[in-house]
Amino acid sequence: MPDSVLAGGVPSIPEFRPIQKTVFAERAQRLRDLAQGHAMQEYLLFASAVARAQAGELELFPDTPVPDRARLEHCQRNGLPPLSIDSPPHVGWQNGLQRLLDALNQEALPPRAAQIVTTLHDADAAALERDRANVLAGAYAEIDPGRAPFIGAALQVHWAKMALRLGKSGRSAGVEFGLCPVCGSPPVVSVIQTGGAKQGLRYLVCSLCASQWHVVRVKCTACASTKGVSYLFIEGGTDAVKAECCDECKTYLKILYLDKDNRMESTADDLATLALDMLVDEKGFRRVGPNLLLSPG
Amino acid sequence: MSVILTRRQFFKVCTTGLATSSVAALGFTPNAALAEVREFKLIGAKETRNTCPYCSVSCGVLMYSLGSNAKNAKQEIFHIEGDPDHPINRGTLCPKGAALLDFVRSSSRLRQPEYRPSGASDWQRISWEDAFERIARHMKNDRDRNFVATNEQGATVNRWLSCGMLAASASSNESGYLTHKFARSVGLLAFDNQARV
Repeated sequence: MPDSVLAGGVPSIPEFRPIQKTVFAERAQRLRDLAQGHAMQEYLLFASAVARAQAGELELFPDTPVPDRARLEHCQRNGLPPLSIDSPPHVGWQNGLQRLLDALNQEALPPRAAQIVTTLHDADAAALERDRANVLAGAYAEIDPGRAPFIGAALQVHWAKMALRLGKSGRSAGVEFGLCPVCGSPPVVSVIQTGGAKQGLRYLVCSLCASQWHVVRVKCTACASTKGVSYLFIEGGTDAVKAECCDECKTYLKILYLDKDNRMESTADDLATLALDMLVDEKGFRRVGPNLLLSPG
Repeated sequence: MSVILTRRQFFKVCTTGLATSSVAALGFTPNAALAEVREFKLIGAKETRNTCPYCSVSCGVLMYSLGSNAKNAKQEIFHIEGDPDHPINRGTLCPKGAALLDFVRSSSRLRQPEYRPSGASDWQRISWEDAFERIARHMKNDRDRNFVATNEQGATVNRWLSCGMLAASASSNESGYLTHKFARSVGLLAFDNQARV
């Protein structure tokens, strides 16, 4: 229990949890653990290899330009995400993509995936920029589902590098409800945290830069309604992952309860519970945010 | 010019889409995952915000219930804990609040109006209408007998001191306002509201 509680005060809610440097390494490990005996074993192992390559790329940490102080202050004054996905990223992300592809063991990939890696190696800058724009806009009808995970992974590392450099100063208060206060992307999942001042609180995890921001529980993360929110999960399966469904706007976002299983990692456990997505879809709910390691087709 | 764009792109993740998803496009087979989905069934749960009824601190609680996903299906509460977002208790509860589940499920919980005539040993069930009638009758009789319109100096005081009123902890401002109006208009002075904090 935090000292402030023992002293008779009420602790304030930590509104923002910046990205941690270990995020990709933990994701890679968790995906590998989840793959054991899983119906999507091979895909999870593939995603694990991608996350491991992301971890390696993050280690390199080359100079990624970030907004200067004046720009940060401007964003914070006006409720704009400082690393907005509306501003085209530094072309350095494309070099990062090539290093990411190099780091993958092509022989371990299915022939079709290896073929796509080769195509991406040879792709011209303009085509990659189109892919980038489509992934960030969530326009999955416009992008080859085979290319999407590699583009998404490269963009994740690129944004992670910038978000890491900015730390807590990367957050802007007053960004549109339900979107990342650092980059303006939709969340991949929400997570009920454990321990200390964040015990039991819900944080949305950015699908792009892995920043976490607080949103009150039992509230739709898309339309902010507190009416008609219910939680669906698979009977006889884990109740540590549920789909938080909103009857008002007919959307859902998965919610991970770390108090029920503290080994979970946002993007990894989201991928490993694709069955829940497919069942919830049959009830007529649309998903609030993407998982950049998988284009739903 | 609006600078904030609404970027509300919702996603459809479905069984038919899996055949054209990254899984298939990269040469992995989605068949096992699809077969699994056909065997699964969804179950519905609710988390409901409420206010602890015990005392005037009015701690926020989250009540967890399970039930079928059907509309208006009966939900069974299986767990209650402090609401971590609530500014007063931030997820904590006192021992009474922590035992709220037993209170909800108690076999001796009062579920409808009951009446025990003076001298009798058993309670008997009565309708809400009857209960309101009886309470109103008793209050009116008591007020007629004990109402104090003026004090010894002859000043108008309009007090009704032989009756008191205690209201609930989870009242909204509006119900608090109405409760207060009612109590004061009949001359009640002994009046407390648990939601006064």
